[in-house]
Amino acid sequence: MTGFWQALRALARLKPNQRLTRDYLASLALAVLLAFAVGAAVMLLCGHDPLASYAALFDGALGRPRAIGNTLAKTVTLCLTGLAMSLAAKAGVFNVGGEGQLYLGAMAAAVVGARLDASAWVVTLASLAAAMLAGGLYAFLPGVMKVRWKVDEVITTIMLNSVAIYFCSYLANGPLKTAERGIATGTDSILPQAAFSSLIPLSNLTTAVFYAAAAALVIWYLMSRSRVGFEMKLTGENDRFARYGGISTGRLMLWAMVMSGAVCGLVGMLEIFGLHKRFLTTVSSEFYFDGMLVAMIMRYQPLGVILMSFFFAALDIGGKSMELSAGVSSELILIVQSIIIFFMAAEGGVRKALGERALRRAGRRRA
Amino acid sequence: MGEIFNVLLLQNTLRTATPVVLAALGCLLTQHVNITNIGIEGMMLIGSFFAVLGSYLFSSWAAGLAFAMGAGLLLGLMYYVLVIRFQSDEFIIGVALNIFAGGLTVFLLRTLFGVRGSFSGPGIDPLPQIVLPGLEAVPVLGDLLSGNTLLVYVSWLLVPLLWAFIYRTPAGFHLRAAGEYPDALTACGKSPDRMKCLASVGCGILSALAGAHLSLGYLLMFSENMSASRGYVAFACVIFGRGNPPLVFLAALLFGFISALGLRMQRYVPSDITAMAPYAVTVVMMAVTVLWGRRRKASKGC
Repeated sequence: MTGFWQALRALARLKPNQRLTRDYLASLALAVLLAFAVGAAVMLLCGHDPLASYAALFDGALGRPRAIGNTLAKTVTLCLTGLAMSLAAKAGVFNVGGEGQLYLGAMAAAVVGARLDASAWVVTLASLAAAMLAGGLYAFLPGVMKVRWKVDEVITTIMLNSVAIYFCSYLANGPLKTAERGIATGTDSILPQAAFSSLIPLSNLTTAVFYAAAAALVIWYLMSRSRVGFEMKLTGENDRFARYGGISTGRLMLWAMVMSGAVCGLVGMLEIFGLHKRFLTTVSSEFYFDGMLVAMIMRYQPLGVILMSFFFAALDIGGKSMELSAGVSSELILIVQSIIIFFMAAEGGVRKALGERALRRAGRRRA
Repeated sequence: MGEIFNVLLLQNTLRTATPVVLAALGCLLTQHVNITNIGIEGMMLIGSFFAVLGSYLFSSWAAGLAFAMGAGLLLGLMYYVLVIRFQSDEFIIGVALNIFAGGLTVFLLRTLFGVRGSFSGPGIDPLPQIVLPGLEAVPVLGDLLSGNTLLVYVSWLLVPLLWAFIYRTPAGFHLRAAGEYPDALTACGKSPDRMKCLASVGCGILSALAGAHLSLGYLLMFSENMSASRGYVAFACVIFGRGNPPLVFLAALLFGFISALGLRMQRYVPSDITAMAPYAVTVVMMAVTVLWGRRRKASKGC
């Protein structure tokens, strides 16, 4: 029976304490190359030309201003969700529920943006606050369960994702459904002047990027330069030591969770005010999970997360245009991305195994 | 009320619960060797795709099951190599596996069948329905216990079998030791890694079978992301039942009951709310389990 409580505790034990060393980055480059090679092999099997397809991917991601705009817009989403994951993970809690927090944030922003009767910037700021509040409160629930009762947060947050998505879908289909014609499931549209304006014509890049940059800067400062960030890191790495040092670890974990949720809510708001201008049930397609993986690969280091987000965003946007021009299904990119993650997660173990083998061989030679 | 609470509700309960039961039985194996496997979601999804693929290619349900089990075996081995051999973070591997499964199945769906969204066709051979002679004539029990598809009975048989394996055989004892105190097992001259491999492969196969039941049991189709978080629900059931097969089975039945009830309440309640219910109940179940566990510990005085 104790095995189960051990297993539960094992989840809390996953310590994100490794740093990005030069060796690690070299492995990352190798993993990316290997994953691309696997992708090329799959393309060959399906009768596509890998070189032409990858060229189409590159062109689709960075070839034209519009493509660059879309890639940057996607980078913003990935990077903020990744940072949200990192915020919580650094303190030793795993917020897998960002998707639900994003939905609720988007819904709150859409409601405030449509209902509030005020000048444009007041509406924007109020929606922003509402979204962060909604996301934060929704993260508070699993956070409190984790800190007070030691209920494993991974499963509860995953379950709460589904709850939030269905709940928002219910609102968008039912009580909050717009009276406008031609919108199947969506809320009223937000105040037009309050929406973000486009930076590159025809692309998804809007002034939302400035809000995102500000948020990223705050998170980076919080995580890397502030006292709270240091205390969080201590808590995540060794909570008993942190408690011995006078840090109230429970409260810190809870705060980390709430902040993580608030950032996810913010992402939802940026999506609504930048792109859809109203709540649609398609506001996110597992964006948070992509961001989470980016954060994991970069070992929850803020700067690394930002750079890696750009790479993954380019893959994502390029993949879509690769499907159109070269006929390769864009899901191939998901496979390539997950292979990178498999390699990187196994990196330490593979390195150790290789090292041991080298040692053994050296020992044999000496003997 | 009679329209909602009748035999059909119980029948639906059993049908909805079966994939969760199978996946949870797999998950409890890995849980006993102290691996937190949240990759069962992806294993299930891949299982349901390959079941349809095998069944369609060879027009036989047996080939479908063989394909699913083969895929589950490979996934279990892969999981073992990554998590135990290379000591990767089991949480990251689990999440990556789920994303990989989503990508792979949709990619194959498009490249092999050339369709988006879902694939169904006359060529897919369903799992056989087994009629228990003698039982089928009994009024309520006959409707419930007879005429279910093969994997339903497999899941029922597996519950006592796995219980006996885990708690009453030397191998099961070693399995639990591999999770609770691997050093002791090593001292006995047994390899904890081998038990972990066994659990991981077993989990892969059972999760894939759960997927096969989803796609070949009643619907006869594969659709994108058709596992719909059932793998996570299975995980929650394992926590709820503390890895004891009969208890886990009951937890899965509860989930099935709530889903089935929700489906039948749709006339009175919006469908989004009923779809939400099983997940919300799972969260409550998690909290209740942990609180119970604490109270029991407190009353024992340790």
